[in-house]
Amino acid sequence: MVWSKRKQERELLIRPKANTLLPYVFIAPAIFLFGMFTIYPFIRTFFLSFTLTNKYGNPTKFVGLKMWKRILGQKEFWNTLLVTLKVAGITLLGTFSLSLFFALLSTTPASGGKIYQTMYALPMAIASSPAAAIFVFIFRQKNGLLNSLIGTNIAWLQNVDYAIWVVCFVTIWMHVGSSFIFLLVGFRNVPDELLESSILDGANVWQRIWHILIPIASPQIFFVLFLNINSSFKSFAQIKLLTGGGPVNSTMTLIYSIYKNAMINGRFETACIQSIFLFLLIFSITRIQFSLEKKVVYYQ
Amino acid sequence: MKTTHAKMKKPLLFLIKTSLGIIFIFPLIVGISFSLHTEQELGSLPLHLFTPKPTIENYIKVFIDVPIFNYLRNTLITCLVAILSQIVIASLAAYSFVFFKFRLKKFFWAIILSTMIIPGEVVVITNYVTIQNLHLVNTYAGLFLTSLISGTSIFMMRQYYMQLPKDFKEAAILDGCGDVQFLIKIAIPLSVPTISALAIYQFVHIYNAYFWPLLVTNKDIWRTIQVGISYLVTGDVEEYGKILGAAMIAMFPTVLAFIFGQDYIIKGMVSGGIKG
Repeated sequence: MVWSKRKQERELLIRPKANTLLPYVFIAPAIFLFGMFTIYPFIRTFFLSFTLTNKYGNPTKFVGLKMWKRILGQKEFWNTLLVTLKVAGITLLGTFSLSLFFALLSTTPASGGKIYQTMYALPMAIASSPAAAIFVFIFRQKNGLLNSLIGTNIAWLQNVDYAIWVVCFVTIWMHVGSSFIFLLVGFRNVPDELLESSILDGANVWQRIWHILIPIASPQIFFVLFLNINSSFKSFAQIKLLTGGGPVNSTMTLIYSIYKNAMINGRFETACIQSIFLFLLIFSITRIQFSLEKKVVYYQ
Repeated sequence: MKTTHAKMKKPLLFLIKTSLGIIFIFPLIVGISFSLHTEQELGSLPLHLFTPKPTIENYIKVFIDVPIFNYLRNTLITCLVAILSQIVIASLAAYSFVFFKFRLKKFFWAIILSTMIIPGEVVVITNYVTIQNLHLVNTYAGLFLTSLISGTSIFMMRQYYMQLPKDFKEAAILDGCGDVQFLIKIAIPLSVPTISALAIYQFVHIYNAYFWPLLVTNKDIWRTIQVGISYLVTGDVEEYGKILGAAMIAMFPTVLAFIFGQDYIIKGMVSGGIKG
C-alpha cells in the first residue's frame, strides 16, 4: 500500500510537468534578448532597405525598391562583392593548408607536444587591434620591419597589388589557430589500432594521411572549410585598421562597406541592403554546406 | 645503431615542430621585442630585432599618455556583466529546455536555432540604431546589451544538463526539492566546469570585440581597450614604440587566458561549433 502510493507519487513527480509557468519564466530572458537584438533588428534591416533614412538611421520616407535598384546598378557594389569573394578565397586556401599542415604535425601525441600546439593556436587569442599594431609596424613603408629586412621601400598597405595580400595574410595568421584545433580534434579521433595496422600493412605516410586520417576527419575538415569562408566574410577590424578599404577600393569588402556607408556616409538604407546581401552570402554558404555534407562527409 | 637513430629522431622532430611554431608566432615576438626599443632605435634603419639595451620606457609612456586603465576598466565591466548574464540566462533557458515539458517548447527552440543563422555582423548596424534611439551611446549598457546572451552559451549549458543523470532530479524531487532549489543547489554547482569553460570562452570573445564597441562609443573615456588601441594605430602618432607597448598590454590578458585555459576554450569552440 505504502509502496504503491510512493510509486504513484514518484510518477507524478518525475514526469515533466506540463503547463506550469516556470518553464516560460526561465526562457523569457533569453527569448526577450534574442528578440530585441537579433530578430527585431533583422526584420528592421529589411524594412529600412525600402526607405530613405536620416543620419540617425531612422526612416523618413518609404521608397519601395528604389534604393535596391540604385545599388544593384552601381559598379562599386559588384566590385565590393568581388573583393569579398576574393578575400574569402585567398584566406580559405591559406588558412586551410597551413592549419592542415600544423594539425598533421601534431596528430601523434608527443611529450612536450603541448608547447608547439599552443604556438600554432595562439594567434587566435590575439585581438585584431594589437595584431594590426604589429602588422602595421611590419608592413609600413617608412621604418617598416619588412622593408628594412629585405632592403625595399614599398608601401605594402597603400599599393593596389599588395594591399589585399597583406590583409589576407594577417587574416590567415589570426584564423589558423581555430581551424588547427578543429582539425586536430578530427585527426585525434582516428583509432590508434587503425594506424598501427596500416603501418604493418606497409602503408606509407601519404597513404595513411590520404586514406585514413582525411576520411575519418572529414566532418571536421568540412566544417573548417566553411568556417573559414564564413569568418572571412565577417573580417572587419584588420581591413579597417590596415587599409581602410583602400587603395582604390581594392580591399573594400562587404562588411567594411556596410560600416563605411552607415557610420561615415550616413547612408543607413544602403548599409541595410548590403547587410541583407551579407546575410544571403553566409546563408547560402551554410545551405550548400549542409546539403553537401551528406554526400561528402564520412561519419563513423 | 638503429636504436640511437630512433632515439635521435624524437628530439629532432620536436625541435623542427617547435621551430615552426616559433616562426609562426614571429609577429608576436616582433611586437614584444620592438616594444622594448627606444623611439630613436625604431626611427633609424636598419632595424635590429633584439636591442642591446631593452627599456620599459614605452610602457611608462603608455601609462602616462594613454588612458589605458580607463579602457581596461570599461572592457572588464562589459566582460563581467556580459559573462554573468550569459551564465544565468543560458543556465535558466537550458534547464527549461532539458527538464521541462511545455507547450511552446519546440517553437522557442526554433527561435533559438533561427537566431544562430543570423550572424551578429548582419544586424550590427540596426542594433546600433536601436542603441542610439535609446540614448545609450557612450554607456556601459550600450557596450554590453548585445552580449547578454548567445546561442553558444545556451548550447553549452544544454549539452551539460542533458548529460546529467535523470536520477539526480528524481531523487531531489522525492526529497521535496523544487525546480528552483534543484537548479540553484544541485544543477548549477555541478556545472561549474562547464560554466568556467563558458566564462573563459566568452571572456576572450568579448574582450577582443572590436566592431560593436567601435560603433557605440565616440568619446575617448568610453572606449574599450581594443577600440582605444585601434585609434592609436590609425592616428598620426610618430611614437610607434608606445603603440606597440599599448598593444602588448592589450593582448596580455587574452594570451594568458588562452595559454592557461586552452582546454576550456577548445570545449567552448567545439560545442558552439555550428556558429563558428
